[in-house]
Amino acid sequence: MPIMVNLDVMMAKRKISAGELAERVDITPANLSILKNNKAKAVRFSTLEAICRELDCQPGDVLEYVKNE
Amino acid sequence: MKIKWNSEKSLFLSRCLTIATLILGVVSLFCIPIITEWYDAISGALNGGKPIHVELNIALYLSAILGIIALWQLLKMLNRFAKHEVFVKENAVCLRLIAWCSFGVAAVWLALTFWRFTAFFVAFIAAFAGLLLRVMKNMLEAAIELREENDFTI
Repeated sequence: MPIMVNLDVMMAKRKISAGELAERVDITPANLSILKNNKAKAVRFSTLEAICRELDCQPGDVLEYVKNE
Repeated sequence: MKIKWNSEKSLFLSRCLTIATLILGVVSLFCIPIITEWYDAISGALNGGKPIHVELNIALYLSAILGIIALWQLLKMLNRFAKHEVFVKENAVCLRLIAWCSFGVAAVWLALTFWRFTAFFVAFIAAFAGLLLRVMKNMLEAAIELREENDFTI
């Protein structure tokens, strides 16, 4: 997928665990894992909004477009 | 007493009917020579044509084998439905196989048209069933993709 989710980086910067973030964003740890491992096919705006709110960042900080070579 | 009908009972009935047809298909393998003899007797008496004992035997055996394969796949699918596994890739594979079995039967009966033109109607019905099943397979594949997309939307 050319869209990469860099959730790990932001989580490390904010020193927050996956379980804690999942709880705060109100998604299951399994779904957070799908998102973190770039297995997700789509992200809801509401989920993205919650992630940005909890990590105090912009969507561009967690999402990155990588050109396919 | 009124029997309450639901999807589980309907599935059970489908499985029973499939198993019964499968058993009938296997039993019919042993009756094919009798069927061909009977057909030749009637057909010969009706139009005085050349008997097609060997050709009809081959067509019926091939059709029965393909039919048994298709029924077996159908049973596998129904067993998955019972486990609530409907939109899975394995079911699409089963449908594809059943469709090809139908096309196979159509090809066999189309070949038999050289000896008896009436075989064309069986070939047409089998080909039509195969076509319908192929479209259903395409639809199932699209549904599987939609479901996957839905499952992986966070």
